[in-house]
This record gives sequence, C-alpha cells and structure tokens, in this order.
Amino acid sequence: MIFKCLPAVDGEPQIYARIDDDGLCRLTCTEEHPPFQEWLAEGNTPEPADEV
Amino acid sequence: MSTIAVNAITDASGGNTASINGATPTNDNTMGRNRIINGDMRIDQRNAGASVTINSNQYTLDRYQAIQTQTGKYSVQQSTTAPTGFTNSMLITSASAYSVLSTDEFYFRQSIEGYNVSDLAFGTASAKTVTLSFWVRSSLTGTFGGALKNNSANRAYPFTYAISAANTWEQKSITIAGDTTGTWNTGNGRGLQVIFGLGVGANFSGTAGAWVGANYSSATGATSVVGTNGATWYITGVQLEAGSATSFERRLYGQELQLCYRYYYKIFPQATNSSLSLTGWTNGTTTAVLTGQFPVTMRIAPTALEQSGTASNYRIAASSGAANCSSVPTFTSPTNEYTFAVAFTVSSGLVSGQGAHGRTGSTTGASGYLGWSAEL
Repeated sequence: MIFKCLPAVDGEPQIYARIDDDGLCRLTCTEEHPPFQEWLAEGNTPEPADEV
Repeated sequence: MSTIAVNAITDASGGNTASINGATPTNDNTMGRNRIINGDMRIDQRNAGASVTINSNQYTLDRYQAIQTQTGKYSVQQSTTAPTGFTNSMLITSASAYSVLSTDEFYFRQSIEGYNVSDLAFGTASAKTVTLSFWVRSSLTGTFGGALKNNSANRAYPFTYAISAANTWEQKSITIAGDTTGTWNTGNGRGLQVIFGLGVGANFSGTAGAWVGANYSSATGATSVVGTNGATWYITGVQLEAGSATSFERRLYGQELQLCYRYYYKIFPQATNSSLSLTGWTNGTTTAVLTGQFPVTMRIAPTALEQSGTASNYRIAASSGAANCSSVPTFTSPTNEYTFAVAFTVSSGLVSGQGAHGRTGSTTGASGYLGWSAEL
C-alpha cells in the first residue's frame, strides 16, 4: 500500500489517493486522515501526482 | 383494572429503592444505559456479513476495530449464530496456530466517545462502578481476558472470564470499580476503550482485577484464540453500564443504525444506475462536484472517502448526457461533520456550469458505494 498525491486544485487542500497492493484506489483523503499520518510517521513519503 | 394516580412512588422508608417487577428504576438503568453501540452486532455497514481477514487495524462490524501486530492471523465476520433473543454475533476465526510474541497484540475493541461516558466520572473521586456484560461462545475453553483502557493507554483494568463448555453460549458479567485517577476524555474524543483479547503478549498483559498505570489490553495467562488453528470465538449482547448488570438494552434497528452513522456512513444502493443521493454541478468538461448531507452529525469532519476502487461503478448524469466515470470518486471540500462533497470524473463531454447528479454505474454499479468514517 502506498499513498499518492492527486493533481492539486487551486484553493483546495491537497488530496491523497491510497493505492492498495492490487493497484486499486479505494480511498482518498486529506493530510489530516489518521491512517495517512501513521503511514507518514513510519517514514513513508507519498508519490508525486501524475502529470495532467 | 385499576389506575394509580400519585405524585411519587417511594420505598417503605421514603427512599428511592422501590422496585417494579423486581427491577429498581434509576437514572442509570433505564433507556440509554448501554454505552456500547451495536452491542448485539446487527449493524455491519462495511462488509454486510462478509468475512474479513485482518491485515491492518481495521474496522469491521460497526463500531468495532480489529487490532493486530501480525497480518492474517484471524478473520472477523458478522454471524447469525446467536443465543436466544439475539439474531447476530461477531465471529472471530483463527487462521493458524500462532505463538504470540511478548510484543504482539491481537484483540478487538470498541472505543466509546467521551460524551457517552462523561457521567461515569472516571479520573475523579466520584468515579462510578460499571458492569461489562456479554454473551460469548468458543470452540476453546479456559480463562479468557480483556481490559478497559483510557485513550492515552496509561490506565487499564485487565479482566478475565471463564468459558467452561465448548461451543456453548455463556453470559458473562464483570463489575469494575471506576478508576479514580488518570485522565479520561469527556468530549468527542476516545473516552474509554472496551477490549476483548484474542492473543495478547506479555508486554501488554497484566494482573486481572485492578486498575494499573500501564498499557494493558488483557490479563496475564489468558487463552490465545489465535493460538489454535480454526478456533472460533463468538460474542454478542455486549453492554457496559453504570452500576450492576441489567438485561440487555434493546434498541430499535433504526435507532442503532443512527447511532452508528455518527461514526461511519455508507451509501450502498446495491443496484446499477441507482441514485447515490448526490447532486451538484459540473465545473469543467470532465468533473462534477456533488454534495449531500449526512443523516446525523458526524463525530468529527471525515478526512477520507471510501469507494469500491472501480471507476465504472459510478456515473454522472447531467443535462449534456450521462456517462460512467473514468476514475474513482475522490474526497473534496467542503466536507465537514454535517455535509460532504465528492468529485466525480468522466473522460469528456460535460459542459461546465450544468446541474449534475451522482449515480452508480450503468452496467457495473451494483458494487458502487461511498463511505465516510469519523471513527475513534
């Protein structure tokens, strides 16, 4: 499982997509989402957003 | 038939211990006495009765979180095996014969919101005695364990209970003097954790029957459910109340569902091309921002949106036409404890500024859902 940045939208908070081991995204979240924060605390870094 | 019309009913000494049909009504044992939500395991919004292998600290039946330090050691499922008077239970099945390490923890818990236990006055000299009661059944026999714990995990009360006969429902009741020290949340944070151990290592196990300033999740020597391959362990009728044990508090299904919605809300039409109760507007040629209102005020503003993971499970209908989505719905703002917003995306064809409606997909939408969590 990893988290990946979604393309930024002006004036909107950054949204992250959780990519599960099977490659599907079943959750998107803000940086305040507790499991995302725990994942960051483990030393992980979200992947950058795809080029739009 | 006679009618009693009086201003007060007291006991023989003028006090407040008069009983009716053997029960003594008090502020604590009438409606609202059970601080556990979904104690009879009827609500399973996330999995609708499907078995889930626990590979992370994840929520299963509504309000219950399965905790693990090693993946894949047990599964959780809503079950229709239940004692008389109940229709459902939670089934834990061990996936292997795992020897628990001192640093391991396998348990499930319900975290009770501080607002719902603030009157227990834990952490003060006025702390109330509480009773935890439940029905349990297992393929194993022996002494099992669990604990009450505060949010900071520095106050805990390990407890034990015995299962004397295999595969037989038994009702247990454990009375616990309230903790007069420690810090206990009384707001919308985690007020109290009710924990049932499934295999807890020595580092997180303590002597049963006393409050201690430690992070204990079970009692020393308790039977490990995950230690026996295929072992089963069921529970239902969970009740935590002030004072001594009373009968399980029955709530209407709709009432229980509303209580659950404060912590998790899922729209799950289970049909293709069905309404997701989302309306909004197109803000470009590929995206619509759709909004809705939560049925009850969430505990906190959700910070994530769950969906099926398949874009074609979702669809936008607008004046310019309707199309299945090309990517999965995403969390967007404004989402708060009252309302939510979701971004739906199609590959092309929308006209900016039109009204739009969110639906499940035209051919693959039966699995489409949207879920928001405000769990503790």
